[in-house]
Amino acid sequence: MRRIIIILALLLTTNAYAEVYIGGFLQGLYGGRLHEDNPTETEYTASESRLQLKLEHFSDNAEVFGRLDFTYDGSVDPSYDWELREGYFKFRLGNNFDFKIGRQILTWGTGDLIFINDVFAKDYQSFFVGRDDQYLKAPQDAIRAEYYGDIGSVNVVWTPNFEPNRLPTGNKLSFYNPMIGKIVGADMAMPAVEPESRFKNSEIAVRYSRMVQNFNAALYFYKGFYKNPLGFDMNLFAPVYPRLHIYGASVRGPLGGGILWLEGGYFDSRDDTSGEDPFMPNSSIVGLIGFERQLATNFTANLQWKIDYMTDYDFYEMQQTMGGGYVRDEVNHLFTSRVTKLLVDELLTLSGFVFYSPSDEDGYARVSAAYKYNDQVTLTAGGNFFGGDNSGSEFGQFKLNDNVYVKMTYGF
Amino acid sequence: MKRLLIVAVILMLANPVLSIAGDATEIMQKSHIAYYYAANDGKADVTMRLINSKGKERVRQFVMLRMDAEDGGDQKYYTYFQKPSDVARMTFMVHKNAEGNDMRWIYVPAVDLVKPISADDKNSSFVGSDFSYEDVSGRHWSLDNHSLVSEAELDGKSVYVIESVPKESYKAFSRKVSYVNKENFLPLKEEYFDKKDKMIKIFRAEKIEVVDGIPTITSRSMEDLKKNQRTIVQFDQITYNIGVEENTFTERYLKNPPRKYIM
Repeated sequence: MRRIIIILALLLTTNAYAEVYIGGFLQGLYGGRLHEDNPTETEYTASESRLQLKLEHFSDNAEVFGRLDFTYDGSVDPSYDWELREGYFKFRLGNNFDFKIGRQILTWGTGDLIFINDVFAKDYQSFFVGRDDQYLKAPQDAIRAEYYGDIGSVNVVWTPNFEPNRLPTGNKLSFYNPMIGKIVGADMAMPAVEPESRFKNSEIAVRYSRMVQNFNAALYFYKGFYKNPLGFDMNLFAPVYPRLHIYGASVRGPLGGGILWLEGGYFDSRDDTSGEDPFMPNSSIVGLIGFERQLATNFTANLQWKIDYMTDYDFYEMQQTMGGGYVRDEVNHLFTSRVTKLLVDELLTLSGFVFYSPSDEDGYARVSAAYKYNDQVTLTAGGNFFGGDNSGSEFGQFKLNDNVYVKMTYGF
Repeated sequence: MKRLLIVAVILMLANPVLSIAGDATEIMQKSHIAYYYAANDGKADVTMRLINSKGKERVRQFVMLRMDAEDGGDQKYYTYFQKPSDVARMTFMVHKNAEGNDMRWIYVPAVDLVKPISADDKNSSFVGSDFSYEDVSGRHWSLDNHSLVSEAELDGKSVYVIESVPKESYKAFSRKVSYVNKENFLPLKEEYFDKKDKMIKIFRAEKIEVVDGIPTITSRSMEDLKKNQRTIVQFDQITYNIGVEENTFTERYLKNPPRKYIM
C-alpha cells in the first residue's frame, strides 16, 4: 500500500521531461500432462488467462516502473489473483552511483539456465509449464546500489526479507519428498519454513566486474540461504532453508567467432560445515564452462558442462545409504545444450534446451515453436519432458510432469 | 634508357583502367564515409516497415545512437526499441571493429539479462528486416575490387556507376552495381547480383535531405527480389554531433537508457 502511494506521489510531482510509457499483454496458456498417474490435484498443468500492465515514468535522472499481473485460473482457489511483478524507483546520484529500490527482477552470472552466482529467486513452477521465459525469475524486494568507475563496477543487492525459489507444490506438478521417499502431490507436501524476518536473516549479494581486454570478468559474494529447502529441522519437523555463503568468479567474452564463458563458486553450507549433519546439505564446489556460436544464418547453438563436487562426501554417502535415500555421485556432471532456429523471416522461432546428467542418469528437455502472426499476436506451442531412472534425482523427480502446452499472446 | 622511359609513358597512358580503378576505390571510400560516418556522432528516431510478399506489414520503431572513433574505422551503435510490444524497452549495442569481428549485446529488461551475442555472421538480418548487419553498419570498401563503369544520370542526378566484386568469394553477393551521387557521394541505388548474375536485392535512397548541413538519406529501402518483400526505413529527428560520450556505449547504459537522447 505504501509503495503504491509513493509511486503515485512521484507521478504527481514530476517535472523536466515527464514521459509515460504504458504497455502490456493479454495471454492464454493451456497445458496438459502426458502421464495419467501423476499424484497431483489438477487435470491440466496450466489453464490460465493473464493480463500484464506495465507503467514506466521517467525524468532526466529518475524512473518509476511498475509491472502488474492479473491472472484467472479456474482450477485453483481463489480463481482471480494478482501479483506486482516489479515496482521500483530508480535514480542516479552524481556520475557514478545508480540505485534501484523496490520490487525487482535481478540477474547476473554467465550460465544459460545454470545458476551458480545468480542467487536471485527462481520460479520453477512457471518454468516447467510453459509460461514466458521472464517468469523463470521471481521478483525480490531489494535495494540495489551500483558504482561505476575506472576500477570497474561494484553491484550490491540487499534483500531484507529472504526470497526463496518457487518450487512445485504438488498442485499442478509433482515432486520427490525425501521424508516419504517417493514422488508426491499436494496432499503429501510438506511446506518449508522460512527464516524469521530479522535483519540478520537478510540476504546480501555483491558483484565486482570489469573488462579485461575483450572479456568481462567478475567476482561474487553471497551471504544468505540456500534458495531451495535442502535442510530439514527435526524440531519443527519441516524442510528449512540452510544458511549459505557463496564465493564465486566468472569470465565471459568472444572467442573463435563465438562467446565463451567460465564460472565457478564455492558453496559454504554454514549450518553444516563439517558435513556430518545428515539433515543439512554439504558444502560444494561448482564449476561451469560454456560456449555459444552462430552455426548458420539464423541458427545458434550452445553447449555447457557443469561439474559439482560435494565435500565431505563420505558422511553423505553413509547417511543416504543407511536411510535408503537416493545417493548422488561425489562429482556430478551436467551437460546442457540450447538450439535456436529462426525461420520465415524471423517470424517462426524454434527453440530447444536439453539438460542431461550422466551421473544422475536423468534429464529435462524443453522445446517450443513461437509464431509471430503479426506485430501484436504470437502463437506458441511447446513441451516439457522429464526423464530419469531415479525418482530422487534432480530431474528424475519430475518425470511424471511431462506436459505440452499452447499459448496465445496479444501485446499492446 | 630512353626506350624504357618511352615504354613506361606509353604504358601509363594506355592503362586508363589502373587510374580509373584507383578513382573508383576513392569514390567508394568517400561514399562509405558520407553514408555511414556522417559527422562524429548522431541520433535518429527510426521507423522500419517490413512488407512481405502478401503486402502484410510489420513495424519496428527504435531510437539509434552512433559514435565514430574515426572515419572509416571503429564505431559504436546503441539502439532502444519502442515497437512492437514484445521488444519494447529492450536495448541493443554493437561495437563495430573495422578489423575483425563486431561485438554485440542485448538487454532484456523483463529478466534483467545482459547477453552478448556471437557476432560471426554479418549477413544475419537486422531485427528481422531485409537489411543485414552489414547493410546497417557498412561493408569496408577495401573488401571489394571497384571499377568505374560509366557516368550517368539517375532521377535527374549525375551519378558515378561503379561495379564492385568481392575480393574473396562471398555468399551475400557476387557483384554489386552502385549509383553514387557525384555531388555528395551518397549511394542513390545499389543493385546486388548473385553468382548466377541474377539481381537479388536493390537498395534505394528514397529521400535525401540536408540535416545540420550534412546531406542525409532520410528514407531508404531494401527490396529482396527473391522473396518478393521489402523494408522501408524512415529516419526522423536526426541530430548530428550531439556530443554523446563513449561510456554511453557500455553495460551501464544498456540497462539504463540515456534519457536525454531516448524518449
